[in-house]
Amino acid sequence: MAEVVIEVNNLAKYFPVTRGLFRQKKIADVKAVDGVSFTIHKGETLGLVGESGCGKTTLGKCILQLLRPTSGEVLFESRDLCELSDKELVPIRAKLQVIFQDPYDSLDPRFTAMDIIGEPLRIHNISKGKEYRDRVAELLDLVGLARYMAERYPHEFSGGQRQRLGIARALALQPEFIMCDEPISALDVSIQAQIINLLDDLQQKFGVAYLFISHDLSVVRHISDRVIVMYLGKIMEISTRDELYKNPLHPYTQALLSAVPIPDPAVEIKRDVILLKGEVPSPMNPPTGCVFHPRCYRAFADCPKIVPILADAGGGHQVACLLYETSRP
Amino acid sequence: MAPLLEVKNIRTYFHTQDGVVKAVDGVSYDVNRGETIALVGESGCGKTVSALSILRLVAEPAGKIISGEILFNGVDLLKLSDAEMHKMRGARISIIFQEPQTSLNPVLTIGRQISEGLEFHKNMSLHDGMLEATRLLKLVGIPHPERRVYEYPHQFSGGMRQRAMIAIAIACQPQLIIADEPTTVVDVTIQAQLLELIRNITKELDTALILITHNLGIVARYAKRVFVMYAGNIVEYGQALDVYHQPCHPYTAGLLASVPRLDEPRKNRLQPIEGQPPDLIAPPAGCAFQARCTYSLPQCSKEKPVLMQITPGHFAACWISQRGTKPWQK
Amino acid sequence: MAVEINTPVVFERPPHTLWGDAIIRLRRNYFAMGGLAFIILLSLAAICAPLITHYGFADQHLDQILQGPSAQHWMGTDQLGRDTFARLLYGARTSLAVGIFTQFIVIVIGLPIGAIAGYAGGRVDNYIMRFVDVMYAFPDILLIILLRSVLGGSIYMLFLAIGLVAWVNISRLVRGQLMALKSRDFVSAAKAMGGMGPYITWRHLLPNALGPIIISITFNIPRAIFTEAALSYIGIGVKPPTPSWGAMIQDGFNLIFSKPYMLLFPAIALALLMLAFTFLGDGLRDALDPKMRR
Repeated sequence: MAEVVIEVNNLAKYFPVTRGLFRQKKIADVKAVDGVSFTIHKGETLGLVGESGCGKTTLGKCILQLLRPTSGEVLFESRDLCELSDKELVPIRAKLQVIFQDPYDSLDPRFTAMDIIGEPLRIHNISKGKEYRDRVAELLDLVGLARYMAERYPHEFSGGQRQRLGIARALALQPEFIMCDEPISALDVSIQAQIINLLDDLQQKFGVAYLFISHDLSVVRHISDRVIVMYLGKIMEISTRDELYKNPLHPYTQALLSAVPIPDPAVEIKRDVILLKGEVPSPMNPPTGCVFHPRCYRAFADCPKIVPILADAGGGHQVACLLYETSRP
Repeated sequence: MAPLLEVKNIRTYFHTQDGVVKAVDGVSYDVNRGETIALVGESGCGKTVSALSILRLVAEPAGKIISGEILFNGVDLLKLSDAEMHKMRGARISIIFQEPQTSLNPVLTIGRQISEGLEFHKNMSLHDGMLEATRLLKLVGIPHPERRVYEYPHQFSGGMRQRAMIAIAIACQPQLIIADEPTTVVDVTIQAQLLELIRNITKELDTALILITHNLGIVARYAKRVFVMYAGNIVEYGQALDVYHQPCHPYTAGLLASVPRLDEPRKNRLQPIEGQPPDLIAPPAGCAFQARCTYSLPQCSKEKPVLMQITPGHFAACWISQRGTKPWQK
Repeated sequence: MAVEINTPVVFERPPHTLWGDAIIRLRRNYFAMGGLAFIILLSLAAICAPLITHYGFADQHLDQILQGPSAQHWMGTDQLGRDTFARLLYGARTSLAVGIFTQFIVIVIGLPIGAIAGYAGGRVDNYIMRFVDVMYAFPDILLIILLRSVLGGSIYMLFLAIGLVAWVNISRLVRGQLMALKSRDFVSAAKAMGGMGPYITWRHLLPNALGPIIISITFNIPRAIFTEAALSYIGIGVKPPTPSWGAMIQDGFNLIFSKPYMLLFPAIALALLMLAFTFLGDGLRDALDPKMRR
């Protein structure tokens, strides 16, 4: 297997809920991410799926140190990013980039396209003058935007074009890793495929690794090499793409997959949906035992009592569910 | 039997600083009693505006229904007085919006908001209204309805709020419900719950449903007939099975080809529709899709195609399929 | 190249910047443009006062006291025989100077404090904002009177006193704007690129907060002018014989029944200037409000 770019060990992010005016007292924790470990390899796409509030965006931001984790490690080039100061992080940030979900929120409305794409170059003092303009033009070419658009402002671009600007900006410093936080969910169906293909092409060209955060399981299957399923701040299942989609082990993964409607009436008429009970509980006081048990359709007596551990259930397919002996602590 | 709703050639325009946006430009469709139809299309294609036009809820003064007829049980809604229209809304036709967060009033209890319509349209007392609200909350699957009716929207989760919206929508047993992207802001598992609920309720009450969505999977699962919209026009419609299996418009075909499907082997590459929708202020002269169409003919950039029947009950506005060819079909 | 380039559809409308758009919208607002025209005219008249009237603001014509409007004295004279029109023009200097210079002080103090609180957040923000709250809660006029007695009576000290009281509004606004902008993704993106706090504040946060700041300042100018008028009215504003609209209104008020024009002209002038700034502020708010843009 390819070398590891990022290693995440037992990462946790708790948001304290405080009360009081001056001396703020902590009354509870929102456990957005709760003890998560995995690795991202060079040039691969790791899909991260889960429902809103499962902590997937928080996890992504913690890896990039946009949020400082409460505990755990994020190893990059054998250094723990969590230990570094903001200043020490600056050179490393050049190699770890991000693409956001909302193309209307992620570009400064007062910047021109050139300012936006060139911003990382300016921050890191990489090029100036003609060299700088050439690099911006090259990046515009790369993401399929016309060069004459460099002088335009974000509001003059369509959603898909804006997302291309965001991608060009992320690529400017030739990073080794890009966190893609729901990069296509704000786009129209016909534009989504354009952006996915673009991300695919760029990965092949530059060998960059992606953490692809999404709630769309069909898209994640298309783009990912491996997939993580998260629920309430914890990893439920990790496996290679084909294995996970062919043989989902966790009841949550099974329910998620069955909930995705397939664009074919002939198929849909024969399909049964696993309807989960209720909604995602508050991460402020998660259920005991397995966090999924109140909604699980296969839960049994042990589930509220024992916290399952994420363990290999065979062939590198890891799952955290008491239905599998390996998950018993 | 005449259809419940007939929308005939409506045009809804918006006046903006940059010019007139022809958001809906000559759209016709019909809904039979108890039937579920879907309006599919991407953002800005006019699907929401065309449905809001039915209730005359287009934001004035910028937006205006320029022409057309909307026959509901044979009565033209566009000719009704404001007072008469007010009696229609909520009682005979109701709507479920995309964001329950903004469509519920934060300072009124959920029960009060459900009973409001009942008091207005059915002359119920507040007491009876609240009792009915409790029953409706139970019907839409909210646990402890007798306690929940007295709670405020912020005490409800996103999925629960949408359930409450459904309860409001069905309170007066309307003949038609318009669901505008009802599950776009909720998660997959909640989406499945809500859509099943909407389906069961419309079936039980024999209510017609207009489902507005961009999600082709949802349409496939729930709608009997599909209307595909592009750039302010309906470009194709027919039975869902026909439209999905034998698309007669390259846009529909392109959309279907561009989404990855979980039931098929993974493709190495997706097939996007290149380019982007036209500017609705200055739409192109011919077919609006021509610039993005791989198969376009010389005629396509000159004349705007109209909807024609290709096979029985299956219509498309495309010069290519009207010639009897479908080059996008493999 | 491995990446395909699709020909993007070019929108046929001419490109425009956000500021350019705002100016177009402002131009279409006749009230705002009228207000702006009035302010410019008054400023020019105030600057060129000696060219417009040959009377000085302190010239006493004791043989012509308390006269009504005439060809000689367009707006009449006061109880010392001074030409009201000349005093109005020179008084406009005071009013406009108060309006503008206090805002400089407000920006110099309020902007950095608000920016620090907004960017730093957390405990720093908490302490700064509680201090701001205390300032806010203190009655303005009382504080100015206190400052006047500490700082002395010169007109510059008047600017300073009003400015020292008025900055809290701006710092609250800046802080609120920055808090909201900080959660926007483009700020996270800049952080992810390696941009540090001061860079982000300067390049991303403040330029995006500029619109609301300009609007707020436009509304604050008439407030400062009014404060000066009020202070002069109660006799702790500018020192005579320097003319001030507030002091003129006070003079006129004593003779309200016998010589109403003495009150009328300065009162109308003050009202018009207030309205002009309010219209301009409203126009700017409509023009700069990003929600107007689709």
